[in-house]
Amino acid sequence: MSSRYSLEDLQEVNERCLKIARELGLDPPETLFHLVSSEEIYDIAARGLPGRYSHWFFGQSYQLQKRQYDMGMSRIYELVINTRPAHAYLLEGNSLVAQTLVMAHVLAHVDFFQRSRYFSPADTNILPRVRHAAGRIHGYMEQYGREVVEDFIDHCEALAFQLPYEQLGGRPEPRRPQFTTEPFDDLFPEETGTRKEEIAARAANFKQHFPRQPERDVLKFIAEYAPQLEDWQRDIISIVRTETAYFVPQTRTQILNEGFAVYMHNQILQVLELDTDDFLEYQSMNAGVVTPQRGHPNPYSLGLVMWQEIARIADDPTDEERNKWPWAGEGEAMEKMKEIAEGYDDAAFLAEFLTPRVCELAQLYTWDIEAERRKKRAVISSREHEEILERMVAEHTNRGLPVIEIVDANALNRGELWMRHLHNGLGLDPEYATASLKHLVQLWGKPVVVESIEGREAETPLWYRAAPPGEEVEVVKEEPTTD
Amino acid sequence: MPVVRGSGFPNEGGRRDALHHRDRLRRQIHKHLTDNIGEEDIIEAGHSKRIRVPVRSTRRYQFIHDRELSGGVGQGDGEPGDQLGPPMEGEKPSEAGTNPGEEMVDIWLDMEEIEELLFSSLELPRLKPKKLMDVETTDIRFDDIARKGPQLDKRATLRKNLERNASKGEAGIGGIDKEDLRYLSYRDLPKPQSRAVVFCLMDVSASMDAHHKQIARLFFYWTVQFLRHKYHQVEVVFIAHHSTARECSEHEFFNSKESGGTKVSSAYTLAQQLQRQRYPEADYNIYLLHASDGDNIASDNPQVVALIKEFLPFASLVAYLEIRKQSVQAMMSGTSQGNLSKLFEKSASDLDGFMWTDAEDAKEIWPALKKFFARDDVLEAVQ
Repeated sequence: MSSRYSLEDLQEVNERCLKIARELGLDPPETLFHLVSSEEIYDIAARGLPGRYSHWFFGQSYQLQKRQYDMGMSRIYELVINTRPAHAYLLEGNSLVAQTLVMAHVLAHVDFFQRSRYFSPADTNILPRVRHAAGRIHGYMEQYGREVVEDFIDHCEALAFQLPYEQLGGRPEPRRPQFTTEPFDDLFPEETGTRKEEIAARAANFKQHFPRQPERDVLKFIAEYAPQLEDWQRDIISIVRTETAYFVPQTRTQILNEGFAVYMHNQILQVLELDTDDFLEYQSMNAGVVTPQRGHPNPYSLGLVMWQEIARIADDPTDEERNKWPWAGEGEAMEKMKEIAEGYDDAAFLAEFLTPRVCELAQLYTWDIEAERRKKRAVISSREHEEILERMVAEHTNRGLPVIEIVDANALNRGELWMRHLHNGLGLDPEYATASLKHLVQLWGKPVVVESIEGREAETPLWYRAAPPGEEVEVVKEEPTTD
Repeated sequence: MPVVRGSGFPNEGGRRDALHHRDRLRRQIHKHLTDNIGEEDIIEAGHSKRIRVPVRSTRRYQFIHDRELSGGVGQGDGEPGDQLGPPMEGEKPSEAGTNPGEEMVDIWLDMEEIEELLFSSLELPRLKPKKLMDVETTDIRFDDIARKGPQLDKRATLRKNLERNASKGEAGIGGIDKEDLRYLSYRDLPKPQSRAVVFCLMDVSASMDAHHKQIARLFFYWTVQFLRHKYHQVEVVFIAHHSTARECSEHEFFNSKESGGTKVSSAYTLAQQLQRQRYPEADYNIYLLHASDGDNIASDNPQVVALIKEFLPFASLVAYLEIRKQSVQAMMSGTSQGNLSKLFEKSASDLDGFMWTDAEDAKEIWPALKKFFARDDVLEAVQ
């Protein structure tokens, strides 16, 4: 294949890839490929969705990626939008082999989008919404000033991922606590009495308490209940929520989805019968895609190793694997893979398939920060499977973010917002917590308190508190009650 | 489906937002600049060059786990105990950081922009309003009308013609005569101009080492730059002194090293003479800057105070920067304060309007400038 090609050539390659993908058992929905300039592709990559509103942080990310591209350091291999039809972007000037690789990769992604149940709540017609939102934000910028609106978007973005992690089922409606009898109550009259009292106390409190149960959807709560927001501000909150919702399933299935796409594009390109030069070019590009990363596992390479292992277990398992997975050794690797793609997110995928062998093949290790006098170093801390597994699952549960719930929106009877960080062995990052609290207090408009713990010490509670205008954040070790 | 050219979206968005980001950083680099005005390359660059100012790209915050404790998972060779990347101070390594998008952004500024950013927070204090306006030069304006000239003013000519016809009892335009012709002309306008003279006084006796001179140089440099920013014309007079004072070139000023005692009044006396001869206070805003390590013979002190007192009523600023010694002995004995600052502290009530402060390293030059050229809100409020 030569480096000069027409749109028709690309289309022909796409048809061939699509045919092979279908023969493999994939079912990619319709996908429109756009051949675009580097300015365009990096603009879309920075925004994540084409046509999104204007903001400095997209410019920051554009600058970074564009500069790396100009210096020849990185090339985007794929950029695909989960809509119907799907939109995917090919960078002008890439070789036909590179475009082939991207198209094959994208076809696997769109198949995954359609297959995975984590994408079922996704709005697949989001682009017109995004475009209208950009128009409204442009209007707000003209009316209220660019910086005012940009700053407000910053406040929202800081909290955008403070979301309930449950995506597939809603949370139960809060119900007034009620005493129900349990077996052997009669035998323990004292304990039963205490339980009755506790429940009665909670029931009495139930009506006054706001919110009735801890709330994790922070932006939604703020949009509904923050006392002083103007309409345009509530509109921006809703725009940020809608657009964040688009990215939630993507981040939740990244290892699965990227690994799946690399696995499938390899399958497709093997069938394509490239000539030797093209095959070597493809091999070298592929090696670039799955290069290991020192600080954070490369989702393409880790995902690929995991999927390859699943295919091997389906075809040629060890005895141990046979005992663990009833389907091991039954062949039908593709069917099994599609099933996993449908029902798993990264946390579940890792919990089940991040085996000792995967850790070895993907060269995984854990690292930690060691402080030595005033110098800090990141040091490889372990290559033990259990430690790697535990940390990987934690990093992919709740997006690796701390869970912080709104527990009281009328604290001290004066509208203060109290939140509680649910401790899982790690405290909040002080710099990030302080800065985020400054954003939060701007949105709520009244004092905000986040209860957390210090470092790893579950016994040492810590309170971050900020009051408007939010220039200062206090960190105190005693529960704040009055000013 | 077909493959199409273009995304269907305008493609300048990325570049436009990158400019917004840059603007935002530019506004934030003020702080960074003030910490770095001591850097030689900024001064050496001169006006033509552009200077690279590295700025940490803006961070996007959210609640995350403690980065010190959370650690991470990575891929590659190595044994437990091996270090990833170079050691770091305070920060996590970029490689292992949670923010791979974070980087240093180079903002290129020319001298004019740097000065604009720096000096926007400084003011000329205690200005006697007449002083800004006291020198009149001429400015040419083409807003006069004459009967001779290079450029015909048609409107004025027609008006004149109408007037002339009207005086003859005729309405309307017609019969334009030589009499009617009017030309655009210019006139000389008195334009307020301002100029200033800066006397830089420095001790060049042996006790002033290279470090002291470097701080002094930076202090004089930025003060003169700031004054150049504010006045149309700034003249600088260098007066070096030990036990005697002499006027010298800038090069000599910073490079000569002389032995002998230190008599500060000699410099103030020479400044006074030169000012009287060449820079009458009616024509010039007068700035007197003095930098030293604080040495002076005690017997000279009253004379120094007396001379400063004479300058204060008409000078725009008389300021003294004491460059603290960094020696271990000075720190141990706690006597880093020089004679002169002790003297000025004592005579503070006598020297109303005299400004002095101290600096130990280049980072303290900005606070010194800030003190000397503070916005004069208080004074305005009193007036």
